[in-house]
Amino acid sequence: MTPGARARRALLVDVILAAIVAALALSFAAGLGVVAFFALPLLLIGLVWIAIERLVRRARRRHAGA
Amino acid sequence: MEERARRREVPALPRWRRARRVLLIAAVICLVPAAFSWVHALRRSRNISWNIATVEWVRAHGGNPLVSQIENWYYELNAPSKGGPPLRSLPRVGVATADAEAPEEHEVHIYRPPPIKPLIHPALPGEGVWKPASATAGKRPPVLLTTFRSDPEYPQFVAGVAWIDSGRTHLVYVPGLAEPPELENRGPAEVPPSKRDRIAATFNGGFPLETSNAGLVYRGQVLAPMVDGIATLVEYRGGRVDIRPWENGERVNPKIVFAKQNLPPIIDEGKLNPNLSDGPEWGATVNNAIRVWRSGLGVDKRGNLIYAAANYQTVESLAKILQRAGAVRAMELDINEDWTSFITYRHPGAVEPSNLLPEMFRPSTRYLEPDERDFFAVYVKGSK
Repeated sequence: MTPGARARRALLVDVILAAIVAALALSFAAGLGVVAFFALPLLLIGLVWIAIERLVRRARRRHAGA
Repeated sequence: MEERARRREVPALPRWRRARRVLLIAAVICLVPAAFSWVHALRRSRNISWNIATVEWVRAHGGNPLVSQIENWYYELNAPSKGGPPLRSLPRVGVATADAEAPEEHEVHIYRPPPIKPLIHPALPGEGVWKPASATAGKRPPVLLTTFRSDPEYPQFVAGVAWIDSGRTHLVYVPGLAEPPELENRGPAEVPPSKRDRIAATFNGGFPLETSNAGLVYRGQVLAPMVDGIATLVEYRGGRVDIRPWENGERVNPKIVFAKQNLPPIIDEGKLNPNLSDGPEWGATVNNAIRVWRSGLGVDKRGNLIYAAANYQTVESLAKILQRAGAVRAMELDINEDWTSFITYRHPGAVEPSNLLPEMFRPSTRYLEPDERDFFAVYVKGSK
């Protein structure tokens, strides 16, 4: 299996897992308001985290290249 | 070729990154139906800002305990401190015209409530003195207004109080756009233009049914089962209005036009409820001891209505305001700055609407356009 195919399969597995997690959250939470109350900050924090990670990585690469 | 080979050598994602990816994708999936529901709620016709509408949406979709807990924390962090410089004047309420004079001696049949005795001395000009709400009220104003400093420990707190002559007025329960939730033919959710020539005042209702766990009867129809022991504002056929703890179980007298319940009584038989400092009894919203905008409604010995509202009140301090104003039975109505409103109209036709207290957050035109929540409208009966 090529690394690309392995990555795609990992992504598929992760999406299926995420769908299960989402289904459980939507089923057991008291309502959509509660789900959104936790999901939105989680998403925002995650996106900011990834953005900072990329910026740091880019800065390190530049620093190493200089 | 070398570049491609180097890319292929990139190791698989570490587990924590995959877990993060799973969580973020799950969050996106969860937010899709939530976003549809939220946008649908915001697109409904309403006269509240998007942020209040969002909080209400969270409350209505299972988030009431969350919102209430956050509100409790916020209000505890922003609690007022005792003392401070004394006030030099009170906000002007009502109108000071020739009509505002006390009735002459031969007009002894016209009852006026006694002034509210000030708690802090020296009293400020006009403190506790009733003034007519309307410039055209005549010798027997249907609504009188006053303000007074309600707590010697907090000399900057000002309570607004309104007295409503039950003999001259007719109280009407008006369903809002969203409250009560289950209702067919809910009407315009505002003071209808055709009735504005007789409108004297409008004021907020109680907690939403979802958070009050209390009953509601409207046009003789039970919209939520009545609960024994809960304070109930009742209007009977013929127009008589009263506030009493409910004692009839789920059985509803056919003579009742509307019955709106909200929490246990805060005053009964002239006495403060002994459980005012008991937190859980006061609903799953903001704690009873948290100082926020609160409003309440009572009846005096003669059956006239007394409305009171003020910022930074606990359930107990609100009850004391109503008791001092002459209420012998009383209930708490809605709380928080977003929902507390008492509006009077200085001229017929709902002209020159005015909030009871200038710090009231909602505009004085609130009930002249469809409103989210249910409210009460006070109409002047017949001719003046």
